[in-house]
Amino acid sequence: MTPSAFRYARPGSVNEAATLLGEHAGDARILAGGQSLIPLLVQRTVRPCLVIDINRIPDLDRIEIFPHHIRMGALVRQEQARLSSVIRAEVCGLSEALEWVASAVIRERGTVVGNLVSNAPGSELPAVAIALGARFAVRDRTGDQLVAAADLLGSTGRIAADALVTHVLWPRSPGRGGFYEVARREGHAPVVGAMVALGQDGCRVGLCGVAATGIACPAVARAIFIRFPGAPYLSEIDQLLDRDLADPLFGNAFVSAEYRREVAPVVIRRAAAAAARVGQS
Amino acid sequence: MEERLALTMTVDDRLVSAMVRPRLLLSDFLRDNARATGVHVGCGQGICGACTVVIDGQPVRACLMLAVQADGCRVQTVASLPELEGGLPVSADGLTPLQNAFREHHALQCGFCTPGLLVSTAIFLARTKAPSRAAILTHLNGHLCRCTGYANIVAAIESLAG
Repeated sequence: MTPSAFRYARPGSVNEAATLLGEHAGDARILAGGQSLIPLLVQRTVRPCLVIDINRIPDLDRIEIFPHHIRMGALVRQEQARLSSVIRAEVCGLSEALEWVASAVIRERGTVVGNLVSNAPGSELPAVAIALGARFAVRDRTGDQLVAAADLLGSTGRIAADALVTHVLWPRSPGRGGFYEVARREGHAPVVGAMVALGQDGCRVGLCGVAATGIACPAVARAIFIRFPGAPYLSEIDQLLDRDLADPLFGNAFVSAEYRREVAPVVIRRAAAAAARVGQS
Repeated sequence: MEERLALTMTVDDRLVSAMVRPRLLLSDFLRDNARATGVHVGCGQGICGACTVVIDGQPVRACLMLAVQADGCRVQTVASLPELEGGLPVSADGLTPLQNAFREHHALQCGFCTPGLLVSTAIFLARTKAPSRAAILTHLNGHLCRCTGYANIVAAIESLAG
């Protein structure tokens, strides 16, 4: 399979990449890991005039520690993040979610930021970013801005065609993380997935595959936090989930919205059980 | 006229240079330009794992990378398997330990998925000391094999996992 023709640019800096993207807004695509973009190119689902390869921009492959957040550049690979002791210790829930993303060889190349901004329906990481309150550093012609994950990836979110996401900032939240998902085949996109992050002062729950985008579930999270080290009954999670589900339910030809909604409490409960097991052998 | 870019890489220790269109995939470049036909193109969209190669030490799906992205890189295909297995001694008939294990356990039938499996398994075994059966199964979910039902592939890898 061959993509349609495009020109190729390999900028050496974020400024250069942002300028190119601004000049060709709507007609250019950023190439980082390529594990989402190249399938779209060969299927000709997208046909950009220009592909901007950011892989050789220095310093974007770093995971850096700041007082209140961990900053991850746009070239940090998923496997690099999964194996990072900083991420495991400081951003509970993310390492556990990464174990469920695609397969190891894909994760070696695919980037965390690329997976997030692709925001495929049902994808794990956007739900994790929304629930953990991650923010994106975005460069466009007006300068640098910080945008909340929910505003970029949520149901009303949108990424402007001329906006280059340079980093994702994860709030520092040590604790216990758990992830669980139901998928049609291991390593494929989940049908429904849930992340539970149990910190010192609260709990966060992210859910994918039930609404059209990832969502946070604060009501369910509160119940999980209160009941820890026990866990809420399925019926309780089920009721509270109605409060958290403001968006319409999502379904497709493969898996109905009804099934997704019905299995969600089970998936959440198993993610909570996985989080509760952290640190126990 | 579609733009063409100059590109140079080493493929299994051979230096290969060409002028290529930006949309040429690395998998097609390796087969058609570099004549590295050990790279098998199955699905062409990153699912089947048959085209897995190693670029600068990292396993990569060659169909999910543009050829121009590998400019200046060191590419190792299944032809570099002896080096990928860390230079372990090859048998009298020229097979590496991994190839021997695949033969002894009948871990291939048509052989189409085998080059990608050998390449990524060599890296997997180099990085994972004494992998569990569960770890081997997780490793294999990045590969599709339509013949064997995987049981013999798992047995072959387990025989080297000790």
